[in-house]
Amino acid sequence: MPILPTRMIRFVSAVLLLAAVASFPLPGEAAKIVALKSADVDVYNEVLEGFKSISRRPIISEYDMEGDFQKGQKFLARLKSGPKPDLILAIGIWALQVVVEEIRDIPVVFAMVLNPTTVIGQEAHNITGASMNVPIEQQIALLKGVSPQVKRIGVIYDPSKTGFLVRQAERIARDQGVRLVTKAIASSKDSFAALDAMQGEIDALWILPDLTVLAPESVQYMLLFSFRNKIPVLGLSENQARMGALLGLSFESGRDIGSQAGELANEILAGRSAEEIPFTTARKVRLTVNLKTASKLGLQIPKEIIDQADVVIR
Amino acid sequence: MTLRLRAVAAILLILWGGWFTGLADGGDLKDTIKNLYGPQGIRVEPSPFFPVETRFQASSLQGLDQLNNQLTSAIGVPSFNSSVAGFTFDIERGIPERTTESLGPLLTERATTLGARKLDVTFTYTRVNFTKLQGKDLNDLELVFRRNDVNEGCDPSSRLLLARCDIIKANLKVDLTEDIFALIATYGLTSEWDVGFVVPVTHIRLIAKAHAGIFDQFGNPGGTKIGDLPIHRFGPNSTQPDASGGGDETGLGDIILRTKYNFLRNYDGLIPDLAFLVEMKLPTGDEQRLLGTGGTNLTGLLVASKTYGRWFTPHINLGYEIDTKDTQQNTIRYALGFDARLLSELTFGADVIGRHKPDGSGTGDHIVDLSLGVKWNPIQSLILRANVQIPLDKNSGLRADFIPTVGIEYIF
Repeated sequence: MPILPTRMIRFVSAVLLLAAVASFPLPGEAAKIVALKSADVDVYNEVLEGFKSISRRPIISEYDMEGDFQKGQKFLARLKSGPKPDLILAIGIWALQVVVEEIRDIPVVFAMVLNPTTVIGQEAHNITGASMNVPIEQQIALLKGVSPQVKRIGVIYDPSKTGFLVRQAERIARDQGVRLVTKAIASSKDSFAALDAMQGEIDALWILPDLTVLAPESVQYMLLFSFRNKIPVLGLSENQARMGALLGLSFESGRDIGSQAGELANEILAGRSAEEIPFTTARKVRLTVNLKTASKLGLQIPKEIIDQADVVIR
Repeated sequence: MTLRLRAVAAILLILWGGWFTGLADGGDLKDTIKNLYGPQGIRVEPSPFFPVETRFQASSLQGLDQLNNQLTSAIGVPSFNSSVAGFTFDIERGIPERTTESLGPLLTERATTLGARKLDVTFTYTRVNFTKLQGKDLNDLELVFRRNDVNEGCDPSSRLLLARCDIIKANLKVDLTEDIFALIATYGLTSEWDVGFVVPVTHIRLIAKAHAGIFDQFGNPGGTKIGDLPIHRFGPNSTQPDASGGGDETGLGDIILRTKYNFLRNYDGLIPDLAFLVEMKLPTGDEQRLLGTGGTNLTGLLVASKTYGRWFTPHINLGYEIDTKDTQQNTIRYALGFDARLLSELTFGADVIGRHKPDGSGTGDHIVDLSLGVKWNPIQSLILRANVQIPLDKNSGLRADFIPTVGIEYIF
């Protein structure tokens, strides 16, 4: 029996055991910030890291609701029955939905939520946060930058889901000198007819973060429409760019969204009301350019756009 | 987080438990078979025809050594693999999606890793009941012992000289079983990088029983005789023809440390996900008690896999294992198989798993098994697993008819 490895194992395991035991939270420690996570997903864990790197107060409790609303509700019920934390960090849309229902009197900062206004009602005055939406200005400017021919940008949307976003986009597009051609749909099946009706009326197509529009068959039809009519498509992700969209624009990282949320938390804990702080959009973005698609569309992508890209598919 | 820390503490406590078990005083189980008749061979009764003490040495002694070596090298723990996360994140919709891929292979690897800050803890139980050695039934092995002066020749002109060619055949029955309890932990350092360990606690039972008989060179029982009197015979002053030995041992086996890095994922077209895995097996199991191999092994494994239709994942593992104690035992390891999600919470896996020793001694140099198994995910992070390994070639090495493994896995 080799002696050295056994001793090493004994020593290392003793150190690790002590470290693990020492890391348990001590009873009676005062609550500061409590984090509620929608599910155990890498990007949400990155959010936590980003938040911790910025927040001036510690997160004293992290809870994973594992995608289960009842678990989230039970956790919040326990939370309400004890000493109140100074702030709740809600990570992901499910955590935000539960918090919106259950919490009225504790400041809440959400992170990594798409279209948060669809979840948070007008009556919630205790909530702000960092969404994962990409700024509309940036998206329209990118489409414009692809080609000077882009003057009319087509958008299909479900008014109940992204009506607010389209209203903002129409104003921003006007400011940037382009026109938004919009078609409202009520179900994903309507997207085919809506797209067909846009033939010849648009110079580019913009895919919105709208669950009705994002049905796989709708996205595929949009990409087909793009190739048939030789117009560029701006998608929501690298994945959509790999599927054939000319461009994909998404938030850069969960860590950065988390750090944005951390900054908002610092403001609230410094005394500012959550109601006064507007939701933020992703300040860092990740751009994917598909040059194979550009070639098929007969487009020459400007060098400055390629230089900005995080991923170039050749 | 607290739950995760508790899991870590529990793992370390169990690791300690395994270590203490390993300290239990034990005998020299490894040499059980070699020592059945003692290191000097079989001594027959002094004969009036041949007054000099006569000993028969086992020509199979080398074979006995080999059997011991095969026993030692057969000891191990099942391969272990990383698990899948319960959720993935749909970046376009902004929502987590419950994983609908399969639950992964059972004994082999696929390229994807566990996920950042996830801890997977698995307990497995494996039963190995060895039945064959190089295709021969372990209950019917034969050892041949020859007289220590056999090299001087058997002269048929003299009975006494002819008797040099008498042999002693010993029929050997070996009962060899292993029960392996393994604690397997894997932790995702990043979304692409896993580290982990396997701590096996092994119970091994080796019982050998032998019965010896004397034969002449033509195979006649009783050996060469003068008149009716055998020249060689067993008696009160000889080694006894019936011998037995062995026993049970329980203790810590060889601990394995491992790390896997998934350097290519979700690439276009036919290019699979790729990962590199490094394993180090430490000599923590007592070799003399047959609980370990007594050497440090290093393995590098290239893993390729690709998921089709979110339910079917074929994979290939190819690598090389270096035995730092005996480079002749260096092994090429390979596996080819798939895991498939049959139902949303049930995955079936099948693999052909092979080990080839290019410079081996000829015994068990190429071992190929078929592994069939299922993983069931009854509740959120709990996975139950069962599989069976079936030798595809029982004529190579020390083999069992089949090797069942059951396990329970939890992802924190």
